[in-house]
Amino acid sequence: MDQQASISIRNLYKVFGTQPLKALAHVRAGMGKSELMAQHRHVLGLRDINVDMRAGEITVIMGLSGSGKSTLIRHVNRLIEPTAGEILVNGENILTFGETRLRDLRRKQMSMVFQHFALLPHRTVLDNAGMARAVRGETRADYERDARAWLDRVGLGGQDGQYPHQLSGGMQQRVGIARALTSNAPIMLMDEAFSALDPLIRTDMQDLLLELQQELQKTIVFISHDLDEALKLADHLVILKDGIVVQQGEPQEILLNPNDPYIVDFISDINRARVLRVRSVMDAGMAPPSDPAGTVDADATLESVIALSGGDTALVYTVLRDGKQVGYLDMQKLVRALVPTQAPRTSRKKPPTAMTG
Amino acid sequence: MATYDFVFESAGLRDWCGEPQQTGPMTMADLLARGATATDSTGFDWGKLWALPFPSLDELNKACAAIPRSRDLTRSLEAGFLNIRDSLRVVLDPLTQPLSWMLEWALHIFAVTPWWIMLPLLLAVVWVASRSWTLIAFVAGALAFLLFVDHYSFAMQTLSIIFVCAFLCVLFGVPIGIAMSRSDTMQRLTIPVLDMLQTLPTFVYLIPLIFLFSVTEPKLYGIAIILYAIVPVIRLTDLGIRLVDKDVIEAAEAFGMTRHQKLVRVQIPLALPNIMAGVNQTIMMSLAMVVIASLVSAPGLGVLVLRGIRNLELGVGLMAGLGIVLLAVILDRVTKAALARVNAASSVPRH
Repeated sequence: MDQQASISIRNLYKVFGTQPLKALAHVRAGMGKSELMAQHRHVLGLRDINVDMRAGEITVIMGLSGSGKSTLIRHVNRLIEPTAGEILVNGENILTFGETRLRDLRRKQMSMVFQHFALLPHRTVLDNAGMARAVRGETRADYERDARAWLDRVGLGGQDGQYPHQLSGGMQQRVGIARALTSNAPIMLMDEAFSALDPLIRTDMQDLLLELQQELQKTIVFISHDLDEALKLADHLVILKDGIVVQQGEPQEILLNPNDPYIVDFISDINRARVLRVRSVMDAGMAPPSDPAGTVDADATLESVIALSGGDTALVYTVLRDGKQVGYLDMQKLVRALVPTQAPRTSRKKPPTAMTG
Repeated sequence: MATYDFVFESAGLRDWCGEPQQTGPMTMADLLARGATATDSTGFDWGKLWALPFPSLDELNKACAAIPRSRDLTRSLEAGFLNIRDSLRVVLDPLTQPLSWMLEWALHIFAVTPWWIMLPLLLAVVWVASRSWTLIAFVAGALAFLLFVDHYSFAMQTLSIIFVCAFLCVLFGVPIGIAMSRSDTMQRLTIPVLDMLQTLPTFVYLIPLIFLFSVTEPKLYGIAIILYAIVPVIRLTDLGIRLVDKDVIEAAEAFGMTRHQKLVRVQIPLALPNIMAGVNQTIMMSLAMVVIASLVSAPGLGVLVLRGIRNLELGVGLMAGLGIVLLAVILDRVTKAALARVNAASSVPRH
């Protein structure tokens, strides 16, 4: 909590198979995933990944199944060894670490939350929450207070004596999060942490995570296949496809300027009004073209502005951040931003020009 | 004239073979052949083709005396075994001596403890394992019946042997199983041995053991029982640890557990239901073997069964058989109850 850690991934390659180094040479020469499979019987997991995960931010790695996102997150704590590349944690290449240092890194710097919770079924909720600390050699007396506090914080007060199988899925994942928090590690790896939960519970857990993050400022690496979830949580969004980073950056930026048909397809179905924020579509500057109809916050969603305006596209709002004016928002521009930047291949939607009319 | 003469003729090995020696004892086949008169015919003889023997050792020996007969093979096997026996005993005797002591000691303890101490003691063990009053009542009834029909001392002998052997099986079997689960090479090497131990007819164990150890030593039957009964606990320990949820193992690694921490805190506890099932099987198999082991002087109910067979004393055999069945049911129910308790304590989470 008091320390922060950043992660940098440099030129990371992962090839699965019997002779990965040989296959790597082909990959470097430009061979694709399907050719590599057909000609050399090796699976290309990750190709030339370069990602900076800044301290105190949530980096969401998103992709469909088989895109290599779970492989990527397992490289960060070396549950999977890369074929080539570097992984820097606080500037140190962890691939040079020996067994003891790696174990120390996993014990003190990192914690992990799993899709299927991965709790110890034979231990109580309290002992599960304190698992990371117990691994370091602490006794129950040492971690009990912290574990209880975090269990309370995630909404499981009074359940410490239960066993995992007595809890619902959502509650089990709360234990998983409490376990990660009790470890006090600055880095939290979350592998599809909310994917196995019901939609409503998932939203709850996302809110809980954002709330905790505001307080704790951990470096979180979050894996997701759900775009809405990714956009909600991400400070930095990395989109993976077939083991390649297709685009990365601020989520709003990706939404407004997708650079790949794959991403255009991806984002074509989401509710842009709910995801886009005023700051992404406003015009910076102090002089509004006409009388402002009111003020809106820079982090407000477009949806809330539309509700405020009552659907009137003629209005202009002053945009405030922390009470100071940072720009103005033209409702017409807002409406244009609601249309996907590039129409998908089959142009089933009206082109943007038709709207401005 | 032997069928395969031509092989040695054509290879020019006639001199090497030497003259056929007829000094050794004849095989039955030789005698029969001498009785029948050879029919020499000039044309192609279908009958001869029909009776064409496989070029076995005995057949080749007929054509060439330098080739050994099958009976020489078994004889040299025996001679070889007898030759290494003494050096084998130098190693095995001290290694296995503790087994003899343990068995003698256990038999002694069970024999000298009066029934009114032993009975509550056994019931206490049942209570600790099962926490079930109905089971205790059943065990008490069964033991009382054995006491009543004067089979108690025999049953206790059988029980003490099973306790010692099953304990040793678990002591050695669980670590072997763990080693197998950790290394695929170890598993590949061990499985054929386990298969062999499981498929060899039980009497085949006894043959080399009788040569190695004197029949008066308890370790003779102890080893036979352990070899036979150790297999399931090894197999199920290996299986249980390999079946532990991969997600949980990954979590253990992600939080920085050492191999030892992983084994003690995750793998063994989660594999415990399977290990307990293995222990149950091991105990049942020791019981099966302890009866057969009475052929080599193992005391207990098996001796009575054997007497029933040898002297055709039907009643003695049946009564002892009933005692064995009672013991089997007791052991099975108690270990199953313990297993059920382990299962209840570590239910697998729903996904």
